Amino acid sequence: MTKVGGWTGKILRVNLTNGKISTEDTIKYKDFIGGMGIGYKVMFDEVPAGTKAFDENNKIIFGAGPLTGSGAPCSSRTNITSLLPSNPYNAVSDSHMGGNFAAMMKYAGWDAIIVEGASSKPVWLRIEDDQVSLEDASAVWGQGIFKSTAEIASIIGNEASIAAIGQAGENMVNLSVIMNGTSHSAGGHGGVLGSKKLKAIAIKGTGAVHIAAHKYELLKLNEYMMKEIIGANNQHVVPRTPQPWAEYHNSGSRWLSRKGLYWGGAETPIETGENPPGDMKKVGFRTMKAVMDLGPVAEKYTIRMGGCQSCPIRCHSQLKVPHLEKYGLSPYVSNTCVGFSGPNGVMIKGVTDQFEEGDKSMMGKIVGAQLTDDYGVWCNYGLIGKDFKYAYNTGILKKVLPKEEYESIPWDKLEAGDPAFLLDFYRRIAFKEGELSHLGDGTYWIAQRWNYGDDFWHGNDYGVWSPLGFPKHHANESGSQVGALISCMFNRDAQCHSHMNFIGSGLPIAIQKEIAAEVWGSPDAIDEPANYTPMNEYKAKFAKWSIIRNCLHDSLTLCNWMWPMTVSPVMARNYRGDTALEAKFLSLITGEQISEEDLDLAGERIFTLHRALTVKQMGTIDMRTKHDVMNDWVYDVDPDKKAFTPGTIKMDRNDMQIALTMFYKEMGWDEKTGAPTKETLIRLGLQDVANELESLKLLP
Amino acid sequence: MSQDERKGFLERETTRREFLKLAGKGMAGAAVSVSFLSMLGFTHESEAVAAFALSQGVLIADRNRCTGCQRCELNCTSLNDGKVQPFISRVKVSRNYNYGVDGPKLSYWKEDGQYGNLLMTPETCKQCKDPACANACPMGAIIADPKTGARIVVKEDCVGCGSCTKACPWHLPTVDPETKKSSKCVLCGMCASNCPTSALNIIPWEDVKVAMIRRGYMLG
Repeated sequence: MTKVGGWTGKILRVNLTNGKISTEDTIKYKDFIGGMGIGYKVMFDEVPAGTKAFDENNKIIFGAGPLTGSGAPCSSRTNITSLLPSNPYNAVSDSHMGGNFAAMMKYAGWDAIIVEGASSKPVWLRIEDDQVSLEDASAVWGQGIFKSTAEIASIIGNEASIAAIGQAGENMVNLSVIMNGTSHSAGGHGGVLGSKKLKAIAIKGTGAVHIAAHKYELLKLNEYMMKEIIGANNQHVVPRTPQPWAEYHNSGSRWLSRKGLYWGGAETPIETGENPPGDMKKVGFRTMKAVMDLGPVAEKYTIRMGGCQSCPIRCHSQLKVPHLEKYGLSPYVSNTCVGFSGPNGVMIKGVTDQFEEGDKSMMGKIVGAQLTDDYGVWCNYGLIGKDFKYAYNTGILKKVLPKEEYESIPWDKLEAGDPAFLLDFYRRIAFKEGELSHLGDGTYWIAQRWNYGDDFWHGNDYGVWSPLGFPKHHANESGSQVGALISCMFNRDAQCHSHMNFIGSGLPIAIQKEIAAEVWGSPDAIDEPANYTPMNEYKAKFAKWSIIRNCLHDSLTLCNWMWPMTVSPVMARNYRGDTALEAKFLSLITGEQISEEDLDLAGERIFTLHRALTVKQMGTIDMRTKHDVMNDWVYDVDPDKKAFTPGTIKMDRNDMQIALTMFYKEMGWDEKTGAPTKETLIRLGLQDVANELESLKLLP
Repeated sequence: MSQDERKGFLERETTRREFLKLAGKGMAGAAVSVSFLSMLGFTHESEAVAAFALSQGVLIADRNRCTGCQRCELNCTSLNDGKVQPFISRVKVSRNYNYGVDGPKLSYWKEDGQYGNLLMTPETCKQCKDPACANACPMGAIIADPKTGARIVVKEDCVGCGSCTKACPWHLPTVDPETKKSSKCVLCGMCASNCPTSALNIIPWEDVKVAMIRRGYMLG
């Protein structure tokens, strides 16, 4: 690749079957930007349709992009692409992790790592700049992620960034993760590494991400973003509590810092304080998420907040809770959001206060996080708890578990709300102990195996979004048809936050509607919360924009839990963000003039390639009825209310079909089936994809 | 820097442990002695070599405020090198991120770092009165900046031998593998002004030994 800024120009390919390590030029993938885009292209070109996730023929791609490690805020995301074992078709999906890994991969000189084949014995991949080797992992095979990471670091050096699997990944549990940095886990693909007997990838990089523009230009752009654009976690731009500097506040905001709220567990407690926009030296205090995720009791245990390389928004809580030692766990724990609540979801009878008043939620969450982060178990965005709840409450477990196994499970702890139950539960999952461990197969598979009823799929209690076995993740409750469309388009829970960040920014609906009109063409692109209107073309445009930005972010790579920057906390800007900011960073860093429209086209290309991969793997063009489907509760919730009346988030069946048609039209896909057309594939430069689909008779 | 900031650093109620952390790294319980100080790179007053003008300022880090985002390293190299390369950053955070300065031990649960006690170990140049890096340089390429007194590498004279890295008690000067030139903190302040949690600050230079005598941690 000609030397431009941003990309390293090199991709590492590691064949575990024959031990061959080779280098490729990134130029081949330039139209796909990086990360997710590279991942999809490799999967489409190299993995035959019908391959299963744990087959030797499956590949797994660790991808970074031109912005990764560049110093652009929130730019150390690793995108991992492979077939997903929990999906009924083992269709392609992405898992992502923050932390330091992707940035370090760039500094070592690699835009991506393609792992193929399977090793006959446990190995770990050692990367020190351009020195790459496979090392014996027998000493760490069988160990959790924490200990494995320490052992490997003691060999390669403490400055390495290490991504590893735990016992769950080794044992090919469908719901397992790959993790770096104690809390940055990519859910769903741990078992793929396990099937390849690749325990970990450890990287030391001493090189640079080169910048094409003059240094002052990049520093200026960084400063502009830090002072005028960036808010708090999820780009929430108003504080949670009233503050003298702020025109608005919103009780849902993740801008939690205020006077009197401390990192209370620090050696000298540190006040988060008021942090008005413009002060770059305080941005990192805004997101004091420990008290939001774990309750007010967590304040005094919070040593600090933390997060990913390059990100000024610290959304991972870092706590010292000495009580954890009573469970045989380290007192030091870190995580965020569903990394806490997901593992605790298994406590289906709730958790009672354990050591002090109000610690119930915190104790369940931190015990659960610590266990799942070490074993490397994935919660399927919280659905593992729902799967378990159904089986327990309906008596299925009593029927399907052998008597001896059933009686060996400490149900008394579950009933009593004692989080020690999780110690037993997650061990069984990670080591595939007994029938219960099939909960680790994922929702679709366990529902088949244990014959779950329609009430599970279609009832309101479980939140199972798709018949393909994944949950809602910012779906119809977030932006009506927009969230619903987004939630239908992937092969796991949608990890798209482009729409959610906007809707949840905390700004009044009137301002949001003004901005919606500017960005998507009409204020009608968004509805008031729980006061929805029928589908319109602007919602389709908003949904498309949200997804293609999401795909772009996972390719550049930027964190879609912060980007895009649709809004700003600055009153003088009238709260307008800057949706061209990705293009501005990319232009400066690569030295190529890239417009917002150019980038959106690349996002469209990447997302359409995802669609083509899904069509190919499922062997059907009928996406509308085989893939883009919602369970009945979405339409039947609130039986006393009609859709599009105040106070309900319910959707309407006919309207959602119209929504799909409008969305397919925006994407240039076949309006009947939702499959990409030949014309659109060619327009996006995907002629080879069109040819392949044509030969498989999978073009509409 | 304001008098207040200076006062904040030197006069605030602080434990000996915390002070030592500010001085470089957590060394709870280490005996404070002259030999210890000299290990940290500070010599007896009587031995001080007058060849170097004192630095006007020194970059200090409060590890309790450091969240490990490494934006200091990104901004440092962005400004000073026109590229982003944490390995040669003049302030060091990422290399200690997981396991602190001393690396993983069996007791990693409770040692420094993300896999341990969750404390970061930001390392900053002390702009030593008698700089070991400069003294070790065979080319005399490390000099006191005429304006700030910061010990700086004169690129044209540097041969990239790495003597400075080895000589520095904290191994802070770093040879860029791409250019084969060493670099170290020039007190530009870029890291401090961009630290999103105010963990880095430049304060008026003071010999750590002098400060410790004043605080009564050791007898003069």
